[in-house]
Amino acid sequence: MMNKEELSDLNRREFLKGGSFATLMALLGAVELRAQDQPKAASGTTEYKTIGNPVNCGVIGCGAWGREILKNLARLPNAPVIAICDTYEAYLRRAAESAPKAEKYTDYRKVLENKQVQAVLVATPSHLHREIVIEALKAGKHVYCEAPLATTIEDARAIASAAKAALKQNFQAGLQTRSDPQRHFLLSFVRTGAMGRNVMARAQAHKKQSWRRTSPTTEREKALNWRLSNATSNGLIGEIGLHQVDAASWFLNARPLSVTGFGGILHWTDGRDVPDTVQAVFEFPGSVNLTYDCTLGNSFDADYEMYYGTDAALMIRENKAWMFKEVDSPLLGWEVYARKDSFYKETGIALVANATKLTAQGSNPTADAAAEDPPLHYALEAFIANSDAVGTGVEDFAASFNVNDTKALREYLTGLAKNLSPFAGYKEGLVATITAIKANEAILTKQKITFKDEWFAL
Amino acid sequence: MKKHLWLFGRHAVCASILLVAGALWAAGWVKYEALPTGSSVKIDGTSTLHDWTVEGKLIRGSMEFEEGVEIDPTQKTIPGLKEGKLNARVEVSILVRSLKSGKSSMDSVMQQAMKQKEFPTIDYRMKEMVLKEPHTSGTPFVFHTKGELTVSGVTRTNLMQVSIDRVDKDKLKATGSTNVKMTDFGIQPPAPKIAAGLIKTGDDVKITFEWLLALPAKSADASQK
Repeated sequence: MMNKEELSDLNRREFLKGGSFATLMALLGAVELRAQDQPKAASGTTEYKTIGNPVNCGVIGCGAWGREILKNLARLPNAPVIAICDTYEAYLRRAAESAPKAEKYTDYRKVLENKQVQAVLVATPSHLHREIVIEALKAGKHVYCEAPLATTIEDARAIASAAKAALKQNFQAGLQTRSDPQRHFLLSFVRTGAMGRNVMARAQAHKKQSWRRTSPTTEREKALNWRLSNATSNGLIGEIGLHQVDAASWFLNARPLSVTGFGGILHWTDGRDVPDTVQAVFEFPGSVNLTYDCTLGNSFDADYEMYYGTDAALMIRENKAWMFKEVDSPLLGWEVYARKDSFYKETGIALVANATKLTAQGSNPTADAAAEDPPLHYALEAFIANSDAVGTGVEDFAASFNVNDTKALREYLTGLAKNLSPFAGYKEGLVATITAIKANEAILTKQKITFKDEWFAL
Repeated sequence: MKKHLWLFGRHAVCASILLVAGALWAAGWVKYEALPTGSSVKIDGTSTLHDWTVEGKLIRGSMEFEEGVEIDPTQKTIPGLKEGKLNARVEVSILVRSLKSGKSSMDSVMQQAMKQKEFPTIDYRMKEMVLKEPHTSGTPFVFHTKGELTVSGVTRTNLMQVSIDRVDKDKLKATGSTNVKMTDFGIQPPAPKIAAGLIKTGDDVKITFEWLLALPAKSADASQK
């Protein structure tokens, strides 16, 4: 909350600037909260760069998502991509557009043999992660493993165990939401208790699309469409729902106790065996349950998450969030001045981080954010920074003491962990992957599956 | 008479052997080595925006005392002091890169300001330590120390009070703090210009440390755990 002095400063500034809605909001002491990047240090009396050490990257798996990773890495100043790898040469050529200086490989083992490569990012089809990730960890590389970690529980546990044992390396699971500053802001808001007591949650992902990729050869088409076969895919919930269910687990601060599922192929009857429409109910402790539905048959309302509490509901759509208050909930104070948006029959209070900072910098906190960075950007930024932190931490320990003193090294690295940028580690990756695998099983068998603790124990 | 002379001579020989042996024995040193965990060094500073702290957990080095010199704070004093001076060797080395602020961007700025790539360590070598008396038995020993502190390639004399306490029969803990100026070591305090204006880092910083050392363990496999 701003004090009187700050408020009157804002009043003067905004009044002088003119403007209408913005001025009104500011005069009322607008408290907007929208996650915004820190301004980069411009040159001044000293010109020290705030960029960290470079971490040489190798990207294994250059399909659509691998190329998305490459595009985002290209925007990071300290993530030079020196190797790209795919068994399909056409993808390698396309990937080279985002990484022109990278060496091209068709065999992932050669990437791991390259001593210059410090970190590998694995974006191959999910059922092919295991071997590559475990070999990469053995080769001493930092690893970013796309989510889901794997398509079977056994594979997921093998990856998580290997990551846990690789003390000297950084492992991150591709649950990019966990690195998103907007989510962290919302989480701290939720933890203030502004929503009252949680009663339930909902999430959906609707988009009319076939999910099928086309290709010149039949052999290639089969390999490309691994998502459409139950043998190699955990379907909509395994590939799409995974992120939303993980976000809910994060917010509710718990792991599901059980999942009940339904699903079928209603529209895309093209020979696939993976359902194109699914529903799942996840039971969480205290009966705060999450209902999830995902379809490839209809696009209405696209993707969003809702969390319902006795004082307010929270809606999260992409990088925006709104709070819908109950008529009998206590006044928070600042909401009186916040921006409000109308929805069908409901009024949502926009939750935008750093509103006072934006106004102080002369930006308009009520305007829509200019092209904001996607969660993947923050996840990769965190991965690079954390890989450097872990790598240099091990080097520093080795230069000072006996690096084979595993107990002492572990204690040192655990102490460094609090300085790391937020990310999903092997534990979060394992929980999210097992949750998705079991949810898919429930969907395919139309059953309720109770979660067992031993699946998650390492 | 001869008999007496021989007896005297034998005693003289024995006495001189004992004297020499005693001198050699006193020339031995007992070395306490830095432990890999449990130590901490903090540097506290200021700026026009906010105060800051960096912390490191790796303090390399050793403390050596003459054999037979008991560092026992339950006693009133330490035997063998000459005008309060304790004959000891102390060497410390801290990797600049191991100092963390909690924000990698700030660490980056600090490393550049301290020319970390050229001068990777902060080093200290003690020249003199004088016991502060009177010492109350049961409390840690406090010493006035004089040493050479080297940061970013510049060496300056450093005076500070250091407390030494015995943690157990093989372990010592040294604590202390000292105030220095960045510019004394040729370091230009970072002054970046950001959207909100110019931030100036304060020249004065306070270095505080807590250092655990131990005698090497008797068994060879002590480091494997």
